[in-house]
Order: sequence, then structure tokens, then C-alpha cells
Amino acid sequence: MRSFFRTFSGRSLLPVAAALLLSGCDLLEFSPNDHRAPDSERDLTAKNLALLAQRPLPAGDTLRFVFTGDSQRFYDDAEDLVRSVNQQPGIQFMLVAGDISDFGFAREMRWINHDLRKLKVPYLTVVGNHDLVGNGRKAYEAIFGPRNYSFVYGDTKFIFVDTNGREYNFDGTAPDMTFVKRELADNSVRRHVIISHVPPQDEDFDPALSEPYAAALREDPRLVFELNGHRHAFSIGEVFGDGVTYINSSSFESRQYVVLTVWGDKQFCLKQVTF
Amino acid sequence: MGWRGKSWLLGLLLELLVVGAHAQPARAQTATQAAGPFFLTLHLAGGTGVVALGGGYRLAQQRLEPELLLGYVPRRISGSKPLAIITLKATYLPWTPELGRSSWQASPVTLGAMVNYTTGQQFFLTNNSAGNYRPGYYWWSSAVRLGLLAGTRLSYAGPCRQPTAAYAELSTNDLHLVSALTNHSLRLVDILTLGGGFKQGF
Repeated sequence: MRSFFRTFSGRSLLPVAAALLLSGCDLLEFSPNDHRAPDSERDLTAKNLALLAQRPLPAGDTLRFVFTGDSQRFYDDAEDLVRSVNQQPGIQFMLVAGDISDFGFAREMRWINHDLRKLKVPYLTVVGNHDLVGNGRKAYEAIFGPRNYSFVYGDTKFIFVDTNGREYNFDGTAPDMTFVKRELADNSVRRHVIISHVPPQDEDFDPALSEPYAAALREDPRLVFELNGHRHAFSIGEVFGDGVTYINSSSFESRQYVVLTVWGDKQFCLKQVTF
Repeated sequence: MGWRGKSWLLGLLLELLVVGAHAQPARAQTATQAAGPFFLTLHLAGGTGVVALGGGYRLAQQRLEPELLLGYVPRRISGSKPLAIITLKATYLPWTPELGRSSWQASPVTLGAMVNYTTGQQFFLTNNSAGNYRPGYYWWSSAVRLGLLAGTRLSYAGPCRQPTAAYAELSTNDLHLVSALTNHSLRLVDILTLGGGFKQGF
């Protein structure tokens, strides 16, 4: 038997050992619910906003961005989506309407980022219900950032809201109406766009907050539209017939996204792209 | 899915075999005395906690090792309260040749399966038992993971001592496997987890 072992040269083991060492960090998983990520894959919201700040949009210029959602476990489709979005001319960023992961694992959020970081433009996310499963909330906050946040680009304020009420057992905390009202009250910008995962007419939206949320949007004269995901199908319309336009994104596996172009006070056009 | 990761496993076990084969040249004694059926385990990483302690009982001519492990996930990793992972695991050793006439034995390939439960209020056994979901809203349990593993092992038993085994294994869990099986772009290495440890017979 020992002669059998001698036939193996030590050199043949080197590439194997090197490969193990190179990927060693990812191989060491203490729990699938470990919320951490390497430095380069943490605080992605802040990092993408910093990238966006390097390409400012002069006030009055046309705003154009890609809107999609629900990347959950559609990694093959994510690769194709990136290839397609990278061919869109004149876009400034991409918005993903939540459910970045399927099981709420940090590993999944990182897999999606490994695809989306190949975009030529920054991307921003809002948290989805699947991103809150198990230890997902901690993972999302570590890898992406806050569940409620906003930023101003050009003369538009984008407001990101956690509307996954069912994940909080409909306890009245999601959406955070104090945050929503405060952000919508900002009259220092020309327009508002609000983006969340679960749409207010959905059964997964906190039923006690559906009407107050819709009312807050209705009363905002600067709101261009409200963007949602969750339903894995594109739709556009005035859900409550109150003058507020709601746009629902396709999911990654639907192999569709939309390009939204916004100008003037509230004028916009929408282009559907299939990939 | 590319199964190129298999070559690593092969490399790992060859390394252990080579080390084992050269470490004990031509010892006259043998290590064939009967090992005790009980063993204690110190396990590191592998998705069952930073460290897990436990033990088990050898069955089927010492080829099957069911064991129970209690793993610890500190606050730094959970992001909230520390977690415990309770793992029921069975390892099968299909082939355990002695290395020459030494006291060393190798199990070039070990295969196993496990099921574990993670404590913590944020995890549900089924979504019916937590929160406000309709049955089947989430089809999986976030608290219970099923796992498969393949590894290698080297053990030493002196004439008057119970065997001590060092092992390394690559494993994955049911949900990582679902991700990989539904996406060509995920490689085997993307879903693997390295674990290892020591088992002391008594």
C-alpha cells in the first residue's frame, strides 16, 4: 500500500492546496445564518450611493433608471439581466424592489451582489419579506444597510420603505409611518419617488396601515409614482383610483425590467425591456 | 453545476494519507485492538457553530457513527443573541485500511448526513407555528437544516489507548443545495462548507 502512496508527488497537491486556501474564507461557514460579509461586501447601500454621488445629475436634467425586483434565487437570470442593463444607454442607476435573497441568508445576498456589482451603474435595494426570514434582517442590514432610507439625486428624492408588515406580525411598525410622513414632507426637492417591496393593496401589507400609507402618498403633491415588487409581475395603474400611480416590477426570472425616464414636475415614460 | 470541487476533496484526503504513511515507518505493533463503542467529539465550523461538543456511539462494526453535537454561535456571528445549534449527525466509514503495520488508520472517504436545529426566536420550525402566515407561505423551516457531507479521517490507536481521530469534511445544506441545483452559475464550491475536528474513543 505504501508504494501506492509514493506514486503521488507532493507537487501534484500544490494546486489543490492553493485552491483551498484561496477560497478558504468562504468555505468557513459557522452557521448558514451568519450575518457577516467581508468588508468589500458590506454597507453596499452607502457604497453605491457614494458611487452615484460621483456622477451627479444637474438639476433639470432628465432622470433615467432601471427598475426591477425579486432577484431571489434567480442567479442565472441575474447574469443575463446585468448583460442587458449594461447595454441601456443613458441610465443612471438600477433599483431592486426587494427579495434580494430567498432564504434570508447572507451568502445569497452576496451571490446576487457578485452579479449586480458587474453593472456599469450603481444599484440600490429595498428590503423584501424574504430578506427578513430567519436572521435575514441582520444580514440585510450588514450587507446592504438600513431598511428605511432616502437619498436625493438631481432634483428627485428617492424614499425606500420597509413595508413587509407580515414579517413583523402586523405590529404597526412596518411601514414606519413617521419616517414616511417625514420624508414626504421634504419640500426642498422637486419630486418624490417612493419604493417598497410589498404594495399597499397586498395581503402582506399591514392592513391597519394600508389606508394611512395610501393617504400619505395621495396628499403628497411631489410624488411621481410608487414602486413595488413582491408580485413577480409587471403592472402599472392607479390602484386606489386616487391619482397615485403604482408600478410593480417583474422578478428576475420573468426576464423583464423597465426603464423609467422622468422629467418636468411629474412627467415620466416607461419602457419595458425583455432579456 | 460544475463538480470540479471534487478534486479538492481528493487532494485533501491524499494529503492526509501521505502524511500518515510517512509519519510512522514500519512500526512493529498493530492497532487492531477493539475500540470502545463510545466517543467524544470536538467539532469546528461546518455550519454547526464555531465550535460544537458532543459524542456518539459506534455501530455496524465501527463503520457507522451516530452522534449528537451542541454548537455555539457567538453574538458576533448571529448579530443578536448567541445561538445554539443542536446537530444529530451520522458518519459512515466505508473503508478504513491500516497504514502499513503502524498504529495509524485512515478512512480515505467518509460520508454522512445531519439534521440540525438552531435556537433563536427569529427562526421558525414551520411558518405555521410562527407569526401570521398561511400554511406553506414559506415552504422551508428556517430553524431546521438538513446536511450532507463527505470527508476524510486519520486515526491513531496505540496498543494501550483508545483511538483518536482527526477529520475534515466538506458539507452543504438543503437550502444551499436547492440554490445550486436551480442555477448553473453557482459552482459546487459556492455552497460548500469546511468543517473538522477530533473524536476520542473511550
